This record gives sequence, structure tokens and C-alpha cells, in this order.
Amino acid sequence: MRATLVVAAPVLAVLLVVVTGLGATALQSLGLMPLTGAPRLSFAAYTSENGELLTATGLSLLIAAASTALAAVVGLATAVAAMSSPRTRRLLTGLVTATVPVPHLVGAASVGLLLADGGLLSRWLGASPGTWPSLVAGRWPTAVVLEYAWKESAFIALVVTATLATRLTGYHETAALLGAGPWARFRHVTLPLAAPALGLASAITFVYTLGSYEVAWLLGPAYPEPLPVMAYRLFTSTDLAARPEAMALAMTTTVIAGAAALAALALVRRTAAWR
Amino acid sequence: MSRAQHRPTSRQLVTPSKRRRAPWRYGAALTAGGMLLAACSAPAATTATNQPVGSWADVRSEARGQTVSLWMWGGDSQGNAYVDDVLAPAAKKAGVTLRRVPVVDTKEALNQVIAERQAGRTDGSVDLVWVNGDNFATGQQAGAWRCGWADDLPNMRFTAPDDPLLTSDFGTKVDDCESPWHKAQFTLVYDSAQIADPPSSLAGVLDWADEHPGRFTYPAPPDFTGAAFIRQLLYSVSGGYENVPATLDQAAYDELSPALWQRLRDLAPSLWRGGRTYPRDSVALDKLYAQGQVDLTMTYGPATLTDLVATGTFPETTRVLPLAEGTLGNASFLAIPSTSGSAAGAMVVANLALSPEQQRLKADPQVWGQFSVLDQSRLPAPEEKAFADLPASPVVPPYPVLSRNANPELSSAWVPALDEGWRRNVLAEVQ
Amino acid sequence: MTRTRRALGLLLVFLLLAWFLTPLLPLALWAGAESWSGTSSLPQRWGAGNLTSVYASDGGAAVLRSLALGTAVAVLATPAGAVAARALALRQVRGPRLIAALLFAPVALPVFAVVMGLNVVLLRLHVPGFLGITLVLVVTALPYTTFLMRAAYAAYDVAFEDEARTLGASPGAVRWRVRLPLLSPALAGAAFLAFLVGWSDYIVTLLLGGGRYVTLPILVASAASGTGNEPTVAALSLVALVPPALLLVSLGLLRRRLNPRRSGSARRSDPAVSPLPLVEGAA
Repeated sequence: MRATLVVAAPVLAVLLVVVTGLGATALQSLGLMPLTGAPRLSFAAYTSENGELLTATGLSLLIAAASTALAAVVGLATAVAAMSSPRTRRLLTGLVTATVPVPHLVGAASVGLLLADGGLLSRWLGASPGTWPSLVAGRWPTAVVLEYAWKESAFIALVVTATLATRLTGYHETAALLGAGPWARFRHVTLPLAAPALGLASAITFVYTLGSYEVAWLLGPAYPEPLPVMAYRLFTSTDLAARPEAMALAMTTTVIAGAAALAALALVRRTAAWR
Repeated sequence: MSRAQHRPTSRQLVTPSKRRRAPWRYGAALTAGGMLLAACSAPAATTATNQPVGSWADVRSEARGQTVSLWMWGGDSQGNAYVDDVLAPAAKKAGVTLRRVPVVDTKEALNQVIAERQAGRTDGSVDLVWVNGDNFATGQQAGAWRCGWADDLPNMRFTAPDDPLLTSDFGTKVDDCESPWHKAQFTLVYDSAQIADPPSSLAGVLDWADEHPGRFTYPAPPDFTGAAFIRQLLYSVSGGYENVPATLDQAAYDELSPALWQRLRDLAPSLWRGGRTYPRDSVALDKLYAQGQVDLTMTYGPATLTDLVATGTFPETTRVLPLAEGTLGNASFLAIPSTSGSAAGAMVVANLALSPEQQRLKADPQVWGQFSVLDQSRLPAPEEKAFADLPASPVVPPYPVLSRNANPELSSAWVPALDEGWRRNVLAEVQ
Repeated sequence: MTRTRRALGLLLVFLLLAWFLTPLLPLALWAGAESWSGTSSLPQRWGAGNLTSVYASDGGAAVLRSLALGTAVAVLATPAGAVAARALALRQVRGPRLIAALLFAPVALPVFAVVMGLNVVLLRLHVPGFLGITLVLVVTALPYTTFLMRAAYAAYDVAFEDEARTLGASPGAVRWRVRLPLLSPALAGAAFLAFLVGWSDYIVTLLLGGGRYVTLPILVASAASGTGNEPTVAALSLVALVPPALLLVSLGLLRRRLNPRRSGSARRSDPAVSPLPLVEGAA
């Protein structure tokens, strides 16, 4: 009973913000909350960009999947390396601390400066004009994925370390005492213990990357563009009539991200260490 | 002490009754629903958009002690310094506290004003906005701007009443709803060390780009500068701005735009990255130019060029490329939102910004370099002389030279039509 | 550990070092650069002018505002998330799946759309800017805190609490001397993440703050929107890295005070290895 009451506060706050915000978005996309003129129900906003919608969704999913996979691998590697000794743990925690607070906007600007055609890496490696691969704003969203993976790997490392620290060492010692080699220890002790944290953090990363626009805005090509970038472009258009279309795209992104979130939660619940 | 006494099992906590959790769930839903209804109920109460301004003395006395929040683009450090260190102290002398709010895009200010209008607020947090054509037009559509005050500013007498740049903002009638602040000219910029003999017309620039693949590109519309480039090119392929009607006309669009898209499609393979992608905005293009990836860039605010060369961001050999047929010119304004609670203070600040002294200080390339909106012939002699004595910029020619043959802007209805047309006919086609 | 294993371990740490530090290099270099042309490998002129100019402009006040926001979000979101996670993990509430999905939902929302709708409601209700921003940011931070703590509870053995109770500890002692120290790494991580949500937020602060709340990310974003402002952006970003680092250090120190046996090598004092010393430590 007390638990229910105490949980009620955050749940109510979330409900308030989500329902009001999403509701307003939905109403605007249906033309029922126009900025000018009388409200009039219309589904035009949802049907106007059909051709580009599929490309945009595919690109969003690609960026999200690639970033999450890379971030999960690197994040897990960082967490495992951090468990090996206190000195390594302090060093890696320091690195992660330096990375996580960097806003995506600044991170994207920095990665852009690094990986652009005339960027730092190309200058330092002495690449002649035209030979540097199109990492930024190229056919494949390489720079976008790298930036997301970089920042989110720090986030995943932080989450996994924080939860592994609670319990890992004892099991490791027991397993070592029982004769398990390092790879066996990793597979049978570390991985199962880290799985819920890793899964949840990866789920958060996937869903966040699906809905975030800043990095793809700065580092991606003008065409094709992922869903949130298209939504933002229409949202900031000078033509107020594009606002319902932007809201319709935002609703679509939310539905896809919501579905992804539910799938991820269901997957994580299946891991053995979940209670 | 038994476990059961101190730690009830979860089964005991989970009551089979739905009654206990239903109330707060429904309560939450009701609250949220109520908020939503509050949000989308009847449109905001009309604010005093056309409330007549009293005498100037009344305005000045009402303005004393008010705080004015000026929302302006924060990416220009010289501009920020001018407002903080020159304009704000001058406003303080008139009793008004001027606060600068840095925004990434004026649309953020517009969104805030629109939200305040929807909420029916009259003490809004936006008191003065640095606006340009399309944002002004959008705001007029949404009733965001206060009107009926600009012509009553005492310093308006120094502007020419028939100046086309000041009576119409991107084809939308200014109509006493905003007061002018700067004039600007669309400018092409090139690196004279890379281009020894620059072309003198826009068609010549595109031909140069065809001969030098990968050394030219333009920002993707809907970026402000990219859209201006498209408009300028429309003038060029149509044989001059006289052949393009200022107001959007479907027939004219259908007749004139195919040539434009065709030229851009033909140009695409010679552009940077083969025209498969374009810089997201003018900042990205400037970065390409600074890194030596392209030899030309473009801007609608040439005032920033002096500082960029001085700090070493742009190469020293950067020069302005004058076009024989002239380029687009416009003026930018200060507008007061209809939801502002410190309108009197905002008017005082707008008047101050329009004063000959401030316009002269602002036009100094070392301070900001923004061109003045005042008519030189209407200024008192000492001020006129002070203007003439302003130092010249090593990069940017003086305004009379730059604005020779200035082309008028198209109405803002053309902007989204051309932006969308570019995406459909050029960007998507070249993939 | 064999030599190859140690070498591999070192290589891994070195690669991770390169991975995390390389994207920060441009920032570090630009922060100390007074003049850097776009074609040369290193700045032409170095100097500390950028960092000092941050404080000359509104930078100092922006730091304080960001600090206040971050702290408010951390203080509200961490306990809320921890409590919710405990309730979910120990199955103390009805409909845990729905609640878990709800608490996860804010991550899936497109922020600018949600905030635009919320802005009108908050304006109409005359909610002060700081409160509105804090509410939305706490909701944004809740998925992070709740699920970090939820994952921690998955690795947490409630048997320790039961054991302490059977040994005579009061519920308060159980909470403060068993649960809190055991969960302290996760709590620290959750508080850190919640602080970061408030510290580095841009769009919510901008849209709901009405321009009255100019924080560090707003300064960074507006500087980044112009050409040639890399030194300012870099200096502001470096300044923005300092308080979170300080926070993490202080959280670590606080943890060490709460649970002194866990300081130094974790092996020796890990309760999973030897639960008995816990009783003495609980005194």
C-alpha cells in the first residue's frame, strides 16, 4: 500500500507530462489545435509525405541499431575492463565522466571537426583533397553512428559498472576458486549479471537515438534524412501550415519508438538475472 | 522476530481490489485531460495589438524602470558585444534595463510568442525580437506582432519614407508593426588566392563551378542563405528581377522555375560531393570554405566578414565578389510581440537603436559593421560627417558600393514554394 | 595472469582510452587556441583568452543556473526512481508492466513536440519557468534513474536485508546500513545521470524558461550557430565538464564515508565473500 502511494508520485508526474504533451501533439497533427484559424479535423498531415516516410524510417532504424550495437559492445568492454583493478576502474571512470556530460550538440560539432573532409584527422594524416572518405554527410551515416556510439558507450559503461559493482567480485572469486578460466568466467558470471543493465541501457540508447535529431542534423546528409530531422525541419519551417505535418511525423516517431521500447523491455525481462 | 511480521510478503501488499489503484489512475487521467482542455479551449483573449501609442513623453515615462528582453540570434559575437556593451548602457541612461536573450534561430522567439498568445498571456517574456522577412510574415499570420507604434518613433524622421526596403519586409507590408535596424545585402565571397580572375555575374560563377568541379556548393534550403541563393539564381535564369513578379503567382512559378531547377540539376555533378549532398546551413558552408574544401561562400550578413578575416577564421585573401546584375538586398527590423508586458520600454529601445549615434556606432566595422538604415541626406551635418569618417573594412566594400543595383526581395510566399521545389526537383532527382 | 593476457588487457585499456578521448581532442585544442586557420594541423596561436572570456560574458551566472537545475532534478528524480525501482523489483505494486512501460515512456517522446504542447498549458496556468522546466526534466530523468536502479536490484540480493533483520536490526538500520551502502554505486550513478539531464538540457530550458533562464547549454548552442565561434564553444564545453566531474568525485567520497569497508580494493570487503563483518560494520 505504501509502495503504491510512493510510486504514484513519479507515475502521476510522467502521466501528466506525457499525456498533455502527446495529446497536444496529436491534436495539432489532426488540425484540432491550429495556430491560426478555426480547428478542423483533417488527416492530411499524415498522408502528405508517404514516399519519404519509408526511407526516413529505414534510415532512423539503421542509425539506431548500428549505434546501439556498437555502444553496447564498447560499453560492456569498458565495464569489464573497469572491474579488473581499482586503478583501471578509476581511469575508465574518469574517461566516462568526461564523456557523458558532453551534450550531443557539442559532441557532434567535435566529431564533425575531427572527421570532416577538411577536418583534423584528415589534416593530421596528410590526406590530399578528395581522398578522404565521406564520413560526415556521406551516403552512409558513419559520423552520426560514431558520435552516438561514442557518447552512448560511456552511458552504457556507467550503468553497467554501477550495477556490476554491487555484486560481481564475490562471484568472480568463487568461480575462479572452482577452476573457471577467464572466458568461462565472462560467459557464465559477468555476462548474465551484466545482461539486465546492458539490456536496459541498450534499450534506452536505441529508443533515444531513434527520436533524437541534433546529431543527424549536424553530421548527416541533406537527403535522405531520418524521421526526427524531417520532423524538426518541418517544425521550424516558416510556413505555419507545415506544423501539423511536423507533429504527424513526431507522432509516427513516438509510435515507432514506443514499440521499440516495449519490445526491448520484453526482451530484458526474459534474461535470467531479472526478478 | 519472525520474517512474516516485519516483512509482509508481496502477496499481502497486492490487494485483489482494483479500487485502491483506480482512484489515482483516474485522477491522473482527469487532471491531464483537464489541462489539455485548458490548452485547446477558445483562442487567447485579444491582446492590445493596435493600442494607440500615447505621446512620446508618456511612453518614455512609462518605460522608466522596465526590463526589456531582446531575443536575438546569438551566433555573432560582435553583435552580442554591441548589444551588451553599447546599446544596453545607453538604454540604462533612459531608465530601461535591456536584457539580451541569445537564441539559435528567431523561430524560437516566434514559437514562444505564439505559445503565449495561445495561452492568453499579456506579460510575456519576449519584449523585442530581431526579425527578418519570413519570420515577420509568419508572425503576422499568427497575430504575433504589436502594430501601430513604429512610425511614431521620433528617430523615424531620419529614414526615407519611400525607401522600399523599409516599407515592405520580404513583400509583407511593414504597416507600422516593426522598426528598422540594419540593412543587408546578399554577398558572394571568394578566396582571391584560389580564384585569380573572378567572374562578374552569377551565371559566370556557375560556369566557373562547372569548370572547377568540387570547388563550389551552396547551403541546402530551407537555410536562409541557401534559399536566398536560389532566389538570386531565379532572377539570373529569368533574365533579371524585372521578369519575376514579386507576389507568388502559380503561373509565373510554373513558367520560371523549370529553368531554375534544370540549371541546378546540370550544375550538381560539378558541385562539392558531386551534388549528392549539400551543407546543412551557412555555418557548414563557411566551415568548408575555411577548411579550403571550396573556394566560395555566401552570406546575407556581410558585416560578419571583417571579424572573421581578422580572427583568422577565413583566409586573409578573402574578398567580396560583386555581381554586375546586383544582388538581393533587405532590411532587418525590431518587432514588439503583442504579448509583451514592457512595450513602452521596448519602444524606447527601438528608438534608441534607430538613433543616428547608435546607427553610426553599429556601422563601425570594428564594432559590428552593420549597415545603417538611415537616409544620409536627412541627418544633421555633424552626424553625416561622422558617418563619412567611419573606417573602411579591408574586406567589405562600403554599403553604397555593395548595394549598387540592389535587387528587391520576392514576397515571402515564394520562399516555401522554392524551398519545397528545390527538394523535389533538385535534391531528390540527383540521388 | 599470463603475459599475453596482461598485454591484451593493456591493449584493451589503451584502445578504450583512444576511443573516449579522441572526439574530445578538437574541443581541448580549440579551447586553448586563439587563432587556428582551417587548413593547418595545429593552432597558430595558443592562449587562455577563451576561458577567461567565458566568465566575462554571462558564463558565470549561466553555470550557477545550470547547477541549480541539475541539482533540483537530481534531488527529485533519484529517490523517486529508486523507490519506483524497488517497488517494481520486489513486486510490491499491481500492474508492474504498465508502470514500467509508463516510467520508460519519456525516453520515447520527441522532446520538442511534447514541450510545445506543454508550454501553452504551463503558460496558461502561470507556472513559473523554473518549476515547469524542473517538472519536465524530472520526468525526462525518471527512465534513467528508475531503470538504472531496477538493473541494480536485479543484481541485488535482498537476502542481506533479511539476514540483518534476523540478526536484530531495526527497519531504519536495515535501510541506512544495509540497503543504502550496497546500492550506493547504483544510486551514485543514478544521481549523476539525473544531474546530467538537468545540467546539459537545452530544448526544455529554452522553450519553457521563456528566455529568463539562460543556462550553459543555451550559451553553447547559440555560440555554435555562428561561424568562427569554435573557441567559445570549446571553452564553454570544457567549463561545462568541470561540475559533473566534481560531482562524481564528491559522490565517490560520500560513498566511501557511507561504507568505509568498500574503500580500496573491493575484493577484501565485498559482503558476498564474507557476510559476517557486516554485523560489526552495521554498528
